[in-house]
Amino acid sequence: MRFPRNKRRPPGLVNAAVRYSKPRLATFWHYAKVEFVPPTSAEIPIAIQSLKKIVNSAQTGSFKQLTVKEAVLNGLVATEVWMWFYIGEIIGKRSIVGYIMFEDQSLISDYI
Amino acid sequence: MVPPVQVSPLIKLGRYSALVLGVAYGAKRYSYLKPRAEEERRVAAEEKKRQDELKRIERERAEAQDDSILK
Repeated sequence: MRFPRNKRRPPGLVNAAVRYSKPRLATFWHYAKVEFVPPTSAEIPIAIQSLKKIVNSAQTGSFKQLTVKEAVLNGLVATEVWMWFYIGEIIGKRSIVGYIMFEDQSLISDYI
Repeated sequence: MVPPVQVSPLIKLGRYSALVLGVAYGAKRYSYLKPRAEEERRVAAEEKKRQDELKRIERERAEAQDDSILK
């Protein structure tokens, strides 16, 4: 009968994980370098211009000329931007669900 | 591979300002809630102690009443 040798298993797992994630990390980085970077100081005036355009379209009523598809896409983008607020809140309160006031309050204490 | 999308600066500005606002909001709210939670826990502990004390007295009184030679 053959038994798996525990000494050999962990390095294999780590190697497999590294081999799996390396190309995927590369593609992620390839896109993130362009899409996830914060705005440079040169882009801020452009952003303010776009904001003024949006406010203008709200004032003049020209937003009613948008197609439903465009409006839905804009809604999705706005929702995504707003989700970053909640991600920030998670970072600020240092807990994923809820505010942890005492050490025995979170469920993590059940496992430690 | 599809070339990466050039994200509009307004969206980038919006995302990162929302992130910063969220961190500030989370931290502020945490520091606001923490003393209140501690106060409430302290009050609840005191209340529980008082209730336990009353129950203990009640129990002893009941036991004292129950005491008789016929037990």
